Amino acid sequence: MIDSRPPPSLHLRRRRLRDRLATLLITAGGIGVLVSVLAIGVFLALEVIPLFLGADAIDTDALWRPQPVEGAAEPRHRWRPESLGEASPAHYGMLPLAWGTLKAALWALLFAVPLALGAAVHSALYMPRRLRARLKPTLELMEAMPGVVVGFIAGLLLAPWVELHLTATLLLVVTLPLGVVLAVGVRGLLPSPLGRRLPLGWAGVWLMPWLLMVGAITLWLAPWLEAALVGGDLRGWLAATLGLDYAARNAMIVGVAMGFAVIPGIYALAEDALNGVPDSLAEGAQALGATRWQTLWRVVLPAASPGILSAVMIGAGRAVGETMIVLMASGNTALMTLSPLEGLRSLSATIAIELPEAAVGGTHYRLLFLAALVLFLFTFLVNTLAEVMRTRLRRRYQRREGGA
Amino acid sequence: MRGSWRRYGEGPWPWLAAGSVALSLLMLLALLLLLATRGLGHFWPAEVAVVTPHAGSPFAGIAVREEASPGDTRRERLYFTANRDLEGGRWRWIELGEIARIDYPAELVMMERSRWGDLVGRLVALEGEGESHVGEAAWPALQARLKALERLRDERNRLRDEVVMPLVRRLEAVDSDEARAALVAANGRIRELQAAMGGATLIVESADGRRVEQPLEEVLRAWRPNAMTLSDRVVAWGEGVWRFLSEGPRAANSAGGVWPAIFGTMLMVLLMSLVVTPFGVLAAIYLNEVAHQGVLTRIVRIGVRNLAGVPSIVFGVFGLGLFVHGIGGSLDEWFFSERLPSPTFGTGGLLWSSLTLALLTLPVVIVATEEGLTRVPDHQREGALALGATRMEMLTRVVLPMTLPAMLTGMILAVARAAGEVAPLMLVGVAKLASRVPVDGDFPYLHLERKFMHLGYHVYDTAFHGDDVQAAMPLAFATALLLVLVILMLNLTAIFLRHHLRLRHEVPSRV
Repeated sequence: MIDSRPPPSLHLRRRRLRDRLATLLITAGGIGVLVSVLAIGVFLALEVIPLFLGADAIDTDALWRPQPVEGAAEPRHRWRPESLGEASPAHYGMLPLAWGTLKAALWALLFAVPLALGAAVHSALYMPRRLRARLKPTLELMEAMPGVVVGFIAGLLLAPWVELHLTATLLLVVTLPLGVVLAVGVRGLLPSPLGRRLPLGWAGVWLMPWLLMVGAITLWLAPWLEAALVGGDLRGWLAATLGLDYAARNAMIVGVAMGFAVIPGIYALAEDALNGVPDSLAEGAQALGATRWQTLWRVVLPAASPGILSAVMIGAGRAVGETMIVLMASGNTALMTLSPLEGLRSLSATIAIELPEAAVGGTHYRLLFLAALVLFLFTFLVNTLAEVMRTRLRRRYQRREGGA
Repeated sequence: MRGSWRRYGEGPWPWLAAGSVALSLLMLLALLLLLATRGLGHFWPAEVAVVTPHAGSPFAGIAVREEASPGDTRRERLYFTANRDLEGGRWRWIELGEIARIDYPAELVMMERSRWGDLVGRLVALEGEGESHVGEAAWPALQARLKALERLRDERNRLRDEVVMPLVRRLEAVDSDEARAALVAANGRIRELQAAMGGATLIVESADGRRVEQPLEEVLRAWRPNAMTLSDRVVAWGEGVWRFLSEGPRAANSAGGVWPAIFGTMLMVLLMSLVVTPFGVLAAIYLNEVAHQGVLTRIVRIGVRNLAGVPSIVFGVFGLGLFVHGIGGSLDEWFFSERLPSPTFGTGGLLWSSLTLALLTLPVVIVATEEGLTRVPDHQREGALALGATRMEMLTRVVLPMTLPAMLTGMILAVARAAGEVAPLMLVGVAKLASRVPVDGDFPYLHLERKFMHLGYHVYDTAFHGDDVQAAMPLAFATALLLVLVILMLNLTAIFLRHHLRLRHEVPSRV
């Protein structure tokens, strides 16, 4: 029967030809995406090569080792791309910039990871489905906040406010968790119908006014505590006993602002990872008498750990590359300290500030391209690793569910 | 410890996890509230107080905020006193204990001027053209004159932008007597208008009794904030918001509106979405419908993820190197060599910005479209193929129409992402103050090589590069609010569309 099919008509042949052409076009589009990703890396690398090869090559040691600096006895790391005459050449020590980038990312992750993972655990395990369906888009909106607005608020509002209320800000780190614990205690003392109106699943909502109150009380108590503990001048005390300088725009501000920006990303991926763990595992643990928290800690979390790690890594990649927040909230001073109370200057902010002014093709220009290449390679590595981890995890559970 | 916690369930940890949800939501809420109040409050005609200190002369100003003076229990209040030409500054801190009296006299007049910023004081007289209005009669006369002035100013600006500037550009290209005559006539008319605008002078007395002679032509608006009723204020607020949205910036971006920035942002994201949507959709179809699900697709998928993770500033550097200096430089050499060394395409501009952001938002479109494609049930595809459709017919007639909302979602999300991105634009074409918008009446109407203004960059620039940041802050807040509102609206639309899409496809697949 199949053999007696008539030869394809002209119409059919034209249709097949169109089909093949369109497939070709689509394939080209798909490959084009891959090529464009590679093109970014290759192009940046090509622009950077003259730094290391050829007539204009610079001393690569100068980029990563301390150099003699006029006015200082010992060699130092310094980034100062413009030369101030014969006696004072330009300094291209990139280490302070790399340091600043990592420091900003570190403080941002210190702030964001506990909050994001806490939120992910709470919404994956405890929240009612209806509330979770609302929370996810809300946090998506949080992710959509443009960096320039977050940086603007952080640099011009948060930084001066924290400068005035440093004690209260540091106290909040302690009082907010304490406040949550206290809320649980108070809830336990409430008569049972009222206590039942405040279930754990909705705690993310009803704790909001409570935390606001805790914050207000902390603000109100802070001056007295400051007077009692450190003689009324925390900044003076920090400088005298710990040797910490204070800059209005500092790593702590950057950490909070950039933390705000990376929380939703980490949350979304971590929640996906927690939800991806087959229900059968958690159900088994609970059937054996484990509480939900024990189930989480002993069963779900270990099972989801590669996914959660990849969420944190992708968050780190985002924090390393974020430009506007660091640019506006960090003060942009190239220092090499770990102190959260001092400023920093990151690679990305340096590129944004200096590249428009750098002479095209010059050493400074190519060095900034090198900075971009470093950022690209770093995020490329981190993201590829995270993606590989995620797919491997997903396939593992797909197999398990399929086999069950 | 363990035993006592058992009463409350599972220990403090679940509660702390809930607390982190609450704290994240609180931060988001605080940010939005802050933007809304500070951004919208700027346009509210606030009451002007006349503050009489115990020592020294009185001054008039709008209370801005209070702060505890550092290392002290006393509190200070900041007043916006305007009158920069008189006082040298526009701000004044005063300790609360030093204030003897605060009045709100109804006759205080506040004026917005084209030079020196605002002026506040009592209206003494309006003189000019042989007339003189003194005392109470001066206020209605001033309002009438200001209306007339605004008409004259509008006509002058229209003449300058729509007649003189095109003529000048035409004369640059070809010399013709006819155009020359038209230009002379237009310039004559502008001079006439200028003369009609001048002449009148306002005499204003500041709160401490000094008199200022203010040429009327520099006054843009005048209002008596303390004499306004609530409905007056609401109207004035609405007018303020409208001016903010429709006018161009003045005084080095520290006053006026943001219309050119709104326009620039919209045009740029429009061009960008024209570029990114076809490529994104093609790539998604390739990944999901055409390619074998093997090593290659996996690598492409990882590539897409990576593209999403590359920092935006790196795209900016790439755009600067490849588009601006590479392609743009070559274009200049080939087609615009007569204008060199001043670059045409070899400098940042609208086209390069759109292309850079298109590359940046490509993964957004791909991911959203792919999600839509995977949601189309396989039996739809199989049905189409079984009826004899080629793969392309199956795609264009069955699958793609069902994926349309997903593509739209991807496009909207891409636009939202691009509208908020500033860092790459700083390298490839944003301008602090673009002298000409990229669209005008000159051929070819759309000028892809021009620099443009952008809302996000406007926030950064007004907040960080002005000479009086304090004065520019309200404007930066308003601009930031506008930007956030646009992005939130786009995102909410996308979320709604996606939700709608899920509902639509979930129902038949269950049946």
